[in-house]
Amino acid sequence: MSAQSTPGQSQTRTIPLLWQRLGLVALLIGIWWLATLRVPHYILPGPARVATAFGLIWENGSLWQDLSITLGRVSIGFIFATAIGLPLGIILGANQALGEFFEPVIPVLNTVSSAIWATFAIIWFGISNATTVFVVFMTAMPLIITNVWQGTRGVNADFIELARVLRMPHWKIMLKVYLPSIMPYFFSGARLAFGFGWRVSLVAETLGSSSGVGYRLRQAADLIQTDQVFAWTITLVLMMAVLEMGILRPLENYLFRWQKEAEH
Amino acid sequence: MNTIESTLSHPTSTTPASAISVCDLSHWFATAEGTPLQVLDQINLEIPVHSIAAILGSSGCGKSTLLNIISGLMTPNQGRIAINGIYNDHSGPSPHVSYMFQEDRLLPWRTAQHNVEFSLEAGSLSRQSRQEQACEALALVGLAGFADAFPYQLSGGMRSRVALARSLVQNPSILLMDEPFSRLDALTRAQMHEELLRIQQLKQMTIVFVTHDVEEAVVLADQVTVLAPRPGRIRSTLAIPLERPRDATSTTSSQYIKELKSLI
Repeated sequence: MSAQSTPGQSQTRTIPLLWQRLGLVALLIGIWWLATLRVPHYILPGPARVATAFGLIWENGSLWQDLSITLGRVSIGFIFATAIGLPLGIILGANQALGEFFEPVIPVLNTVSSAIWATFAIIWFGISNATTVFVVFMTAMPLIITNVWQGTRGVNADFIELARVLRMPHWKIMLKVYLPSIMPYFFSGARLAFGFGWRVSLVAETLGSSSGVGYRLRQAADLIQTDQVFAWTITLVLMMAVLEMGILRPLENYLFRWQKEAEH
Repeated sequence: MNTIESTLSHPTSTTPASAISVCDLSHWFATAEGTPLQVLDQINLEIPVHSIAAILGSSGCGKSTLLNIISGLMTPNQGRIAINGIYNDHSGPSPHVSYMFQEDRLLPWRTAQHNVEFSLEAGSLSRQSRQEQACEALALVGLAGFADAFPYQLSGGMRSRVALARSLVQNPSILLMDEPFSRLDALTRAQMHEELLRIQQLKQMTIVFVTHDVEEAVVLADQVTVLAPRPGRIRSTLAIPLERPRDATSTTSSQYIKELKSLI
């Protein structure tokens, strides 16, 4: 399948946008630098100090090691959340009786703070990978279910009737009509869930882990190495930007190419 | 004729005189007040094999309900339907029957080719034979070059052609159409009529279509059944033994059109 003629269009837009973004970054760094002039470095370290700290964690290997540990935990939690949340959301959405019965569960799950899940996780799993994975899972899964469920309500009844006329078995209707229809909803849910998962993973790691970015953050804070806290923070921001622009955005453009200009 | 037919026609062991027989069909809809509303009253209808039959009536005369019952989508409260001489056991849509809806109902996330293949995905055909048959069906409706186009990239007439290809790809012996071209402009509709007649000749199908457009009925049909509304019942059935291609503006056609208009 060809990618159609869309890349050319988006390129003409991203180049000026890229300059805008770079300008914004320069502006923020300028304000940051001005703010640090009269403040002690352990309260608010300047850009130069943070750059040095960044170089340090880069050189001692902690950057890649802890980043990949955290990313791995988030990914595993997220994969579990998707593997369970996506089919569950479709089933609950497609089957009215089940949906009505379980409806109250989702808001309840959504209101439980991730700190509470982290506390439970430490009791159940101790200081281990499972603690962070569990917290990410419990935070991400309800978000995915909610969005997918919402998506099933938007499935066009005409398409279901069409599939029925074609004598399509129920499971195939799920796979071929429901699943593609809810993909846009699932995607926005998954994006939200990944972002949340990433944030709560840090909370979980500061509480119940001996490795990962969250743990390094707490360690640096305990030792009042504010410059390292800043260095880690910037790393996280950069990583989210790379994930968003390098993976999510292109994936979305590819998966939903059929939507281009579809909304007149 | 036979040489063209041999490659395209479907195997039919027996050739009963009627492709569709409707016997003493009555149907009611449940209403909020509790007294059921009768939509169809004592319908008796014979549609010969390889003929084109129109069901004509104003809106609300139950013509779509009648078509839904013939297709097996709905089960009648009273009466029986025989498809190719075999009574429907109410186990859902018959495999000999293909249904073309009023809207094109193309799945927006599928290309033209994959939309046509959708018709074949209920069964267990191999991917390759699905592809081949879909290609053939697209070529039949004159869209060979648009296999990879998404629905949003196609014009109304082309979308209608894709929907027609999707109905034809299963090689049905009977094609049911619910005002299939009513959303097209007059010129495109006339093109689709020609196309439909050409394909009907080629494939020797029986076609039953519902319409409120008298000209359309006269241009296409061998037999026009006029329904009277509330409850839907047969007012009369008129044979139209005119040569094809027909011109709605010719004097003979006008006479039929006048006669049918007086019956509605």
